[in-house]
Amino acid sequence: MKKKLILLAISVSLLAACTTSKKADYPANTVKYPVTMSTKFSGQVRIDKEPQRIISLSPTATEALFAVGAGDQVIAVDDQSNYPDDAPKSDLSGYTPNVEAILAKKPDLVIVSNDINNIVASLRAAKVPVLIEPAAKTLDDAYFQILEIGIATAHDGDSTGLVNQMKQDITDAQAKISSSEKKLSFYHELDNTYYSVTSDTFLGALYKMAGLKNIADAAPGADSGYPQLSAEYIVKANPDFIFLADTKCCSVTAASLKDRPGFAALDAVKNGKVIELDDDVASRWGPRTVELFKQIVDAVTAK
Amino acid sequence: MNTVLTSTAMRIENLGVRIGNRQIVQDVSLEISSGDWVCVIGPNGAGKSSLLKAIAGILPSAGTIQVNDFDLSTLSHRDRACWIAYVAQAPVIPPGMTVFDYVMLGRTAHLKLLASESDFDLEMTNYVLTELGLSEFATRQVASLSGGERQRVTIARALAQASPIVLLDEPTSALDIGFQQEVLTLINALRKEKKIAVISTMHDLTTSGIYPDRLLLMAQGQVQVSGSAIEVLTEANISAHYGANVRIINDLGRPIVVPTDF
Amino acid sequence: MPLSSVQTSTRIPPKWWFACAGAVVVTILLGVCIGAVGISPKQTALELLSHLPGLSIHSNLDETDSAIIWDLRLPRVVLALVVGSMLATAGSAYQGTFRNPLADPYLLGVSAGAGLGATVEIVVFESPVRWSLPVAAFIGALIAVSLTYALGSSSIAGRSASSLVLAGVAVAALLTAAQTLVQQRNSDKVREVYAWILGRLAVAGWSDLALVAPYVVVCTVVLLRYRRVLDVFAVGDEEATTLGLPVARARAVIILAASLGTAAAVAVTGLIGFVGIIVPHTIRLIAGNSYRRLLPLSIVFGGVFLVLADIIARTAMSPEEIPIGVVTALIGAPFFLYILAARKEGSLV
Repeated sequence: MKKKLILLAISVSLLAACTTSKKADYPANTVKYPVTMSTKFSGQVRIDKEPQRIISLSPTATEALFAVGAGDQVIAVDDQSNYPDDAPKSDLSGYTPNVEAILAKKPDLVIVSNDINNIVASLRAAKVPVLIEPAAKTLDDAYFQILEIGIATAHDGDSTGLVNQMKQDITDAQAKISSSEKKLSFYHELDNTYYSVTSDTFLGALYKMAGLKNIADAAPGADSGYPQLSAEYIVKANPDFIFLADTKCCSVTAASLKDRPGFAALDAVKNGKVIELDDDVASRWGPRTVELFKQIVDAVTAK
Repeated sequence: MNTVLTSTAMRIENLGVRIGNRQIVQDVSLEISSGDWVCVIGPNGAGKSSLLKAIAGILPSAGTIQVNDFDLSTLSHRDRACWIAYVAQAPVIPPGMTVFDYVMLGRTAHLKLLASESDFDLEMTNYVLTELGLSEFATRQVASLSGGERQRVTIARALAQASPIVLLDEPTSALDIGFQQEVLTLINALRKEKKIAVISTMHDLTTSGIYPDRLLLMAQGQVQVSGSAIEVLTEANISAHYGANVRIINDLGRPIVVPTDF
Repeated sequence: MPLSSVQTSTRIPPKWWFACAGAVVVTILLGVCIGAVGISPKQTALELLSHLPGLSIHSNLDETDSAIIWDLRLPRVVLALVVGSMLATAGSAYQGTFRNPLADPYLLGVSAGAGLGATVEIVVFESPVRWSLPVAAFIGALIAVSLTYALGSSSIAGRSASSLVLAGVAVAALLTAAQTLVQQRNSDKVREVYAWILGRLAVAGWSDLALVAPYVVVCTVVLLRYRRVLDVFAVGDEEATTLGLPVARARAVIILAASLGTAAAVAVTGLIGFVGIIVPHTIRLIAGNSYRRLLPLSIVFGGVFLVLADIIARTAMSPEEIPIGVVTALIGAPFFLYILAARKEGSLV
């Protein structure tokens, strides 16, 4: 019994050491208020004091807020923000935002991912600082947004550390890929009507970094970035890997793929190279992008 | 522009109407003065209605139409309407419009485009309604009236327009014999009292010969015969242009046309 | 007052004006007092009065609440009044000149043109905060109407009412197809385009209103002055010509004013449907068919209707905001069912 307790104590302290040693690598937080940020998408934003009542209407921003350690400054997140679990989910909507419903909660900082319904101007008219963090086009955009969120919430040091860690993790993962594994092809499925992404998109760029060839790049309609492929096209292209990003929305699984006409003969299906992704992770551009990348690399390098 | 109902003379020369490739009306000339009643008859497709529409200015036409020696084609729509009023064969009856408001529409020609009716216009409408025995119907909806009453209302509108020339396209075709008599008698009385020049088209040959001073028989777009009723309504003319065999009975001092083929 | 004037049903009795004024005032007060953030009516009234120059009235509201009343709710209510009024007025005007009680302000392609303009702008411009969206929608709407008018007036078709309507259908179909094409090729922007199409009245400050108001005022005045002309149109183009109305010219002016006003409204708020049909129809049921009554009453009650619809939009499913176009559609559908059920002989539809 005593042994168990000691083991428990050791593992807890090790855990603590892990987390603190991680944080210990991060630079210190230096932001002093009031601060005027020159943001990339929101113009000049002035924040008078450290935000303690943050509202996030963007699931990606929610993840970033918690990842940089600002979680306890968040009072409400939108109804689509499902990660992390303990984020204070509310029935606020990021798609049809109601400015008064937001103001009723008395926020001192609001983060959105797009300006629908004139929400940004309305919040600013009510003297609430607003940050717009739209869908990232590149990985650098995604890093930049995390940094902005860090500065705004007095976690600039934490966000810098986090971003550096993310960059390191990605580089490490990239190093694992051998040259023969590059030039393998893949198909990324967005939904069960064969919508995919080209390499010109945020997601597509990730795959490109993993050295994979995207079958959607040559498809008709590729210049929209989100072409709709057809079953025949996919069968003909016969990708080495299939990544499913519609597991949650459309209940597609590796097993159900076999039932699609023509798919059972695909190399990827026969060799078990169908990877189920988390829809949410694959549609956001936050800190978990690294996990997504690692998942891709693991799939590629698996023997 | 207010027209005073003194003597008015209209002269039409070589009027022609062309629609697409077809010459609907060709080379029609006629003269009419205040108080005259000219009736245009002819088989279906002869161009009678088109003739009236051309005079009214609704169909484009070639040739000249002069009123009191000036050319109608130089006038704006509003000025033309001060000279000529037109009652269509099947007048549009706007749903929900009262008799008073419908007749008041006749005053449009005398109002500037953006002006409202003045008290004079309202008085004029009232006066016309009284003249035609329609006062009791003033607040009723036009659509709720009987055929004869409705025809009187359309004529009332033309009267409210106070034009010296009135065109009536088939004024009695949709009416039963009782209303036919009533309307024709009314028109005759009005044109005599007010010295209005009336040009009408008519289907029924016998009735066309009762009141009008002159008849114009049109066929294939042209005036084939013109003259008094007795001169125009002959067995030969009707056979030639209508392709029908009839007998003309000259009782009652005017021609009665009786079809003989059945 | 001469006896005769009593018999025309084209004048508006003076009593009605009081009702109109009352309706407008009550509606504005409702709009400004109702919202997700609870602010007492007394404080609201004080806040409104505090903006009157000269009086030194102050409310006890903090900066945010004060901004909610003056920068968010009041401009939104006024915008709804202005836009609703314009849509109902334009709808009435189109119904009059085309003798079709189902004509709405989007008849000649305004909505398709504005939709295409907005879609193109959303696709071309990347940054999320834009001022060019209303401009693009406005230009698109005007191009569409010009195209319709040119097509409908071409010598083959003649400038009759029906040829204009048909041309409008053709142009709308063409532009909608173009819009769908653009959307398909840029499916990541579909959500934004859709949000615009469903309409929004949310504003911050008075700048949107300043954009719309001049057009709406001018166009409304023009259409108001043409109200008697609209009554003359009721007998059809041919008879109206013989009555002395310059039909083609009058129609052109009416179309221009109605389209311009609608285009301006739509440019700022997106496509809000049904107002241009529901309001005139309802007024007809109560006040009769004369446009001399219908037009002024549409100006008033179009605005009242939209403010009330907007109150529903921002409170019925709080904290979500129902797009205003959806609310008007939800009112419109049962409305038409009612019309269908209540049809009687000689009714307008």
